[in-house]
Amino acid sequence: MSAPDHRPGLIARLYTSYGLAAPVAVLLFVLFLSAPLLPGKFWIHVSTEILILGLFAMSFNLLYGYMGQISFGHAAFFGIGAYATAMLFVALKAPGGDIGVVQFLLALTVGPPVAAVAALIVGFFCVRLTGIYFAMLSLAFGELLFYIVFSWYSFTKGDDGIQGLLPPPFFQDPVNFYYLTLAIVTVALLVMWRITESPFGYIMRTLRDNQRRAAFLGINVRLHMLANFVIAGSFAGLAGALWGPFSRSVNPGLLGWQESGIAVFMTLIGGAGTFVGPMVGAVIYTFLQAVVKMYTVYWPLTIGTIILLIVLFAPGGVLGIIDKRIKARRGEAAAAAVEKR
Amino acid sequence: MAAILEVTNLHKHFGGIHVTRDVNFSMDEGEQSAIIGPNGAGKSTLMNLLTGYHRCDAGKVVFEGRDITNRPPHQIARMGISRAFQVSSIFAKMTVAENVRSAVHAQMRQTFNIFGVASRIGGDETGRVLALCGLDGKRDIVAGELAQGDKKRLELAVALAGKPRLLFLDEPTAGMSIDEARGTMELVDQLNRELGLTVLFTEHDMGIVFNHARKLTLLHRGVIVVQGTPAEVRANETAQKVYLGEHQL
Amino acid sequence: MDIGPYVLQLFSGLSRAMVLFLLSAGLSLIFGVMNILNFAHATLWLLSGYITFSIFQFLSDQLGASPWLLLPSIVGATSLMVLIGLALERFLIRRTYERELPEQLLLTFALVLIIGDLIKLIWGVENRRINLGVQPVEMLDTLINPYHFVIVGTGVAVAAGLWFFLHRTRFGKIVRAAVYSRSMVSALGIPIPLIYALVFAAGVGLAGFAGGVFLPLIPMALGVDHDVIVQCFAVVVIGGFGSMLGTFVAAIIVGVVYAFSILFWPDGALAMIFLIVIVVLIWRPWGLFGTELRS
Repeated sequence: MSAPDHRPGLIARLYTSYGLAAPVAVLLFVLFLSAPLLPGKFWIHVSTEILILGLFAMSFNLLYGYMGQISFGHAAFFGIGAYATAMLFVALKAPGGDIGVVQFLLALTVGPPVAAVAALIVGFFCVRLTGIYFAMLSLAFGELLFYIVFSWYSFTKGDDGIQGLLPPPFFQDPVNFYYLTLAIVTVALLVMWRITESPFGYIMRTLRDNQRRAAFLGINVRLHMLANFVIAGSFAGLAGALWGPFSRSVNPGLLGWQESGIAVFMTLIGGAGTFVGPMVGAVIYTFLQAVVKMYTVYWPLTIGTIILLIVLFAPGGVLGIIDKRIKARRGEAAAAAVEKR
Repeated sequence: MAAILEVTNLHKHFGGIHVTRDVNFSMDEGEQSAIIGPNGAGKSTLMNLLTGYHRCDAGKVVFEGRDITNRPPHQIARMGISRAFQVSSIFAKMTVAENVRSAVHAQMRQTFNIFGVASRIGGDETGRVLALCGLDGKRDIVAGELAQGDKKRLELAVALAGKPRLLFLDEPTAGMSIDEARGTMELVDQLNRELGLTVLFTEHDMGIVFNHARKLTLLHRGVIVVQGTPAEVRANETAQKVYLGEHQL
Repeated sequence: MDIGPYVLQLFSGLSRAMVLFLLSAGLSLIFGVMNILNFAHATLWLLSGYITFSIFQFLSDQLGASPWLLLPSIVGATSLMVLIGLALERFLIRRTYERELPEQLLLTFALVLIIGDLIKLIWGVENRRINLGVQPVEMLDTLINPYHFVIVGTGVAVAAGLWFFLHRTRFGKIVRAAVYSRSMVSALGIPIPLIYALVFAAGVGLAGFAGGVFLPLIPMALGVDHDVIVQCFAVVVIGGFGSMLGTFVAAIIVGVVYAFSILFWPDGALAMIFLIVIVVLIWRPWGLFGTELRS
């Protein structure tokens, strides 16, 4: 840090006016912009995965961090978005040839609306419940959709999944695809940020803190929860839409509860209380996974131990801990300043 | 003056227990009155019935000429009835200003606005309500970390942000110091006097009840024992027997 | 009509139901008493299966093969699981009682990953199974492995025993009371931490027992626990959190529906289960036999 002590730097000022989310977001964006500087295609691949899964985890946090409900079926919308895009992708692709850029972008756009429709139907029932019951019903719907995709071979190719989702030649270059993903995810997150800072976003926080009280303010609790469920589902659908062309295939596992679990992990590792928390969690989770898998097949053991340590010693996630540290230090500094006077 | 609230033959039982039975009363516009009664008399249940939290088994509630019986709470709130709870139930992880602002947004029907910036909408009204309730200096404190008295004041502020024409207060001074309680009740009096807000409150402290209510309704085991001015209730023999006697007036 | 396949499915369904019951009973008790949803329950069940296998293997090497060696193997594995349950409660679960639901879920889920990988580390990726070498018996147009009768009998016996324990013994009554009101139990001067530790260990013990009992029927394989735990959630939700009778009935519903669905829709049999869960949660969120009070 080159900024002199008495004049707070940009980062410190961002923290003061917008909280921890702003400086971390700026930092992340700079890191993401320069990620292709890392040598080799492997890290580009990892970075792309971080962006997509980060968007997915952040869409989950609209339900968890902002609305206070934990969904174990959120991957269903990720998977449905992925399948919708994949199916249109295959339909638009010239037989034996590449897909055109326009057709490719068109295929990407169907993910969110199709996921939104699914979220509307599932959400209609889920928002009648809260807490563990909400979690269980979302899990049951997610698993039902998983098995439908898994067993409906004629429509979804079942366990085989849909293969050969090769993007147009220009985007087959990992760096180009990466920047496309970065652009889409950035725009999506700006929109998401606006939503969380809107009156609607704050109504979500009232529902998280006290649903009954919110109802007495004249808020139709279920209708607002449903709206948020659909919004969260749409963003998950967008993440899913990007997943197909990224991994060149889609499979039913994308809808399963283990995939939902990944969003939960990332969110809690990063910190659900901060807007960018899940993205930070995605960075940590995916990066670690890439590194650990180079050395050992025992990745679950590693991540399991890390999660265990976070739950025991860092509740509130990485950002939660950092925020607490900064607040404590600033509190001490303020107290010291008062004493000096 | 026209009746703003009319309650006819209100009936509620949980299992085999009648918690309110044949409750009849009405409130005139601009009236400030209290419901009193020993613990378990059905005061809170009555408020829950009037605000739609519990379903009535029989009877009718009419507000400003409209039947609101068994309407869901959010619809009743939108019609102009606000409620402050006995155990303060504000939004604990949000700041004081955010608490009130969201209540203001609900009143402005802005709750589905997803692209507006929350901090730029309804700011004046939020500031007005905060100032009114003496929470000006505590805007940025997280509500859950407030002192008990401040929580109750925020509870009131959130209720007032809905711009109600009828306000229910459940034990508005519970847990407050004597000074805080006096301040709160003076604020309620002021709202009633200056804005013509109709107020119905429950309260344990008989001093407050007799000083701040112009009409009393005494509930006992879910039944109205007596209704009238404080003087009338004080003079009533049954009232003395079931309740007032215990309170050594 | 040839009823053979149906009879076969009925028995396989009932056996499955018994295992689901043994697991879900513990899951439901732990949740009812401690408010902790133990994601690792089926993983502990799996671990017990592997342990039973190893003990059985060891005894067979020492004493010569005999199906009866399964009994001491199960007893050994179950005891070990009770100890593991006590240790987990003491060192991990206990630290999260005051925490929120998601953190508790995360902790037990971390255990799913850790224990799952430890199994892989110790036993490798190969499936484990005990072959008792029992001849199938012919009845109702089909051949049935008589071990199904053992499992169903054991399951019913355990269910009866649990019922007796919960309704007729002092400790059982305390446990049931703890489901309804924790403060009341602690007001009676009964140490809540002790109840928690014993309930958790007992739940894990039941899961361990189920792991051993089931071994001769279905091979233990890595990752099976992921499917089984969701089915147990289904059982607990359908039956109602904290209700033993509900858990028993729901286990039979899930086991039998699954077994018959496999005949008609092999890949989607579990979809039927989740369809039932959805209907129950929408219609009666507190489950078929649960009470509305706790919802």
